[in-house]
Amino acid sequence: MTNAAATGTERTNIQIVSEDDVVRVEDLRLSFYTSLGVVRALNGVSFNIPRGKVLGVVGESGCGKSQTGLAIMQLTFGRIEEGRILFREFNTSEVIDITKLEKNGPEMRRIRGNHISMIFQEPMTSLNPCYTVGHQIEEAILLHQTRDKAEARRRTVDILRKVGMPNPERIADSYPHQLSGGMRQRAMIAMALSCNPTLLIADEPTTALDVTTEAQILDLMRDLQHEIGTSIMFITHNMGVVAQMCDEVAVMYLGRVIERAAVDDIFYDPKHPYTISLLRSIPRLGIARGQKLESIKGTVPDPYSTVPGCPFHPRCPAAIPGLCDTVMPEEIFIAGSQTHTVRCHLYT
Amino acid sequence: MDTAKKNGRSDEILLEVRGLKKHFPIHSGFLRRVTGYVKAVDGIDFYIKKGETLGLVGESGCGKSTTGRTILRLLDPTAGEIIFDDPNIGKVDLAKLSRAQLKRVRPNMQIIFQDPFSSLNPRLTVGQIVGEPLEIQKAASGQALRDRVAELLQEVGIRPENMTRYPHAFSGGQRQRIGIARALALNPKLIVCDEPVSALDVSIQAQVLNLLEDLQEKYNLTYLFIAHDLSVVEHISDRVAVMYVGYIVEMASTEDLYYHPKHPYTEALLAAIPKPDPRKRTRPIKLPGDVPNPANPPSGCYFHPRCRYAEDICKVERPPLRDIGGEHWVACHFAERLQLQGVTRLNEIPLIELPKRQAPVPAASPAS
Repeated sequence: MTNAAATGTERTNIQIVSEDDVVRVEDLRLSFYTSLGVVRALNGVSFNIPRGKVLGVVGESGCGKSQTGLAIMQLTFGRIEEGRILFREFNTSEVIDITKLEKNGPEMRRIRGNHISMIFQEPMTSLNPCYTVGHQIEEAILLHQTRDKAEARRRTVDILRKVGMPNPERIADSYPHQLSGGMRQRAMIAMALSCNPTLLIADEPTTALDVTTEAQILDLMRDLQHEIGTSIMFITHNMGVVAQMCDEVAVMYLGRVIERAAVDDIFYDPKHPYTISLLRSIPRLGIARGQKLESIKGTVPDPYSTVPGCPFHPRCPAAIPGLCDTVMPEEIFIAGSQTHTVRCHLYT
Repeated sequence: MDTAKKNGRSDEILLEVRGLKKHFPIHSGFLRRVTGYVKAVDGIDFYIKKGETLGLVGESGCGKSTTGRTILRLLDPTAGEIIFDDPNIGKVDLAKLSRAQLKRVRPNMQIIFQDPFSSLNPRLTVGQIVGEPLEIQKAASGQALRDRVAELLQEVGIRPENMTRYPHAFSGGQRQRIGIARALALNPKLIVCDEPVSALDVSIQAQVLNLLEDLQEKYNLTYLFIAHDLSVVEHISDRVAVMYVGYIVEMASTEDLYYHPKHPYTEALLAAIPKPDPRKRTRPIKLPGDVPNPANPPSGCYFHPRCRYAEDICKVERPPLRDIGGEHWVACHFAERLQLQGVTRLNEIPLIELPKRQAPVPAASPAS
């Protein structure tokens, strides 16, 4: 499956439906085989990320949002059972199916960190403490962009300046422990953007930061995204951040995308009961004071178990007995919309 | 519900903190000599009335958790008074009590910790965890103890049958409920909630916040609610205090603080909240630089290097926390003069109604 010939033939057959998509994930299934049983982390995830847009992927812990990001980078320890991840670089018509590439093969290594890069949640632990920040950014540039060390150094200082570091030459020579959390996250962003990637996967990039720092980092990401034209897959659980950052949103629940729409539709015209409940359970400034927050009853089911029918039905306030608990709803377009899809029996 | 909550509140003061300081020594060199102090809490004053919730907000490292722990004497204060109105003993200064005396006051003040994964002993069963305070205070034993634990677990929404299970068998939200049951065991008056929901998912967070509100109403509890999520604090608090580098810079009723802030730092903090409304995209107020190091704070007002309204006096004189009217306390030289921007109410964004439960469908008919 993974040899060069197969990849070659595969490529010519693939058609990305929209010319504007940089990534198209189709029916991705991913499992972990553990001593306690099989965890089905992703059960048929499909979405696309248009060129130059920000797709927000939201959901509670354990819904598979981080695993989707890691699968695109081929960094997951799980096994991809089925599905395709189609990727197209900047300015090429060539489409690559990432799931067909060898994890550590030359082609995957050419893409990873160069055409697709990632920012992780923990700015404290995702930088190597033994090397200077500049060295770590140069490493990516030397690997992918240029062999000239002086040139790499110049680009490193440039990108550090671009992410708003006050004294880029000095920062390049400092070690991660000498920087604050916000500065480290800026350094991570600098590293991720150093090769002008086609796609940036940001996995909860601001969750560990304070609110003022978070606002600055989001502002910075928005500016850089406009400037470079990178598409961003923004993984988060914070609906406020989604509203501020994203163009489109995919809501995930138990390894499936249950609703997908433009950000305005998600907040002003949500369809899936889970999306609606999620929005109703966040405290809103000025509205809910003195009133009870609405919560979703129950908890996310145990990952080792499988729920028959719609995975949300045990917690759903609108579940239809006899239908939702037996039949898995298909992903369908909302009547009269080309972009808004939902996986719910209420709309079939 | 709002009025019911307000009725339970009185103007009597349960806890008053005056000039509280907590400095941690910095040791360095071969002899581990003290070379400086981290001034985590540097002279704060506030009070909490009976039955109210005081929110304490600020960025990481501003000393809000240290404040919570020092009040309970989990950390010993460097200076200052902590006057607690104990229902049995009357007003006592906790800062001066001995261990034995503290033990008599402790049943009335409890704490809920942030991380539900490290604040429960993994080697004890849930029954032992919740029953431990009762045993230490010799409040109950034998069957009475088991009954009380069962009642407490029921109260927080955990089935009493789970008493014999260990913490690892529970999810984050359930563990936080166990922590709440433990804090409730001795019928306390004051509960310090140290970031009780920040480790939880959104839907679970709402459940725990509702539980805290229900319990407050039922037992007339007083909360010191420490958090960094400003939307959560706005929801649960009657009054809010904002901390910056070991110092309270503003304290007022929630309404006043969020909609009519008087301190430039509060304004910047409020502007940074990511608002869940895609039609209102905001740009944050640029705060140059980083939060100062509490071991080496700047001169004058600690906020002046980052403040866009700073003038010469701010560099030399630290403004005291003063009441500018209507119990609105501010530590800023220009509190009366500045016109600051509060948060905008998210009234326009609709609260979508949930679809109603549908009639049952015969099992045979598949989805169309």
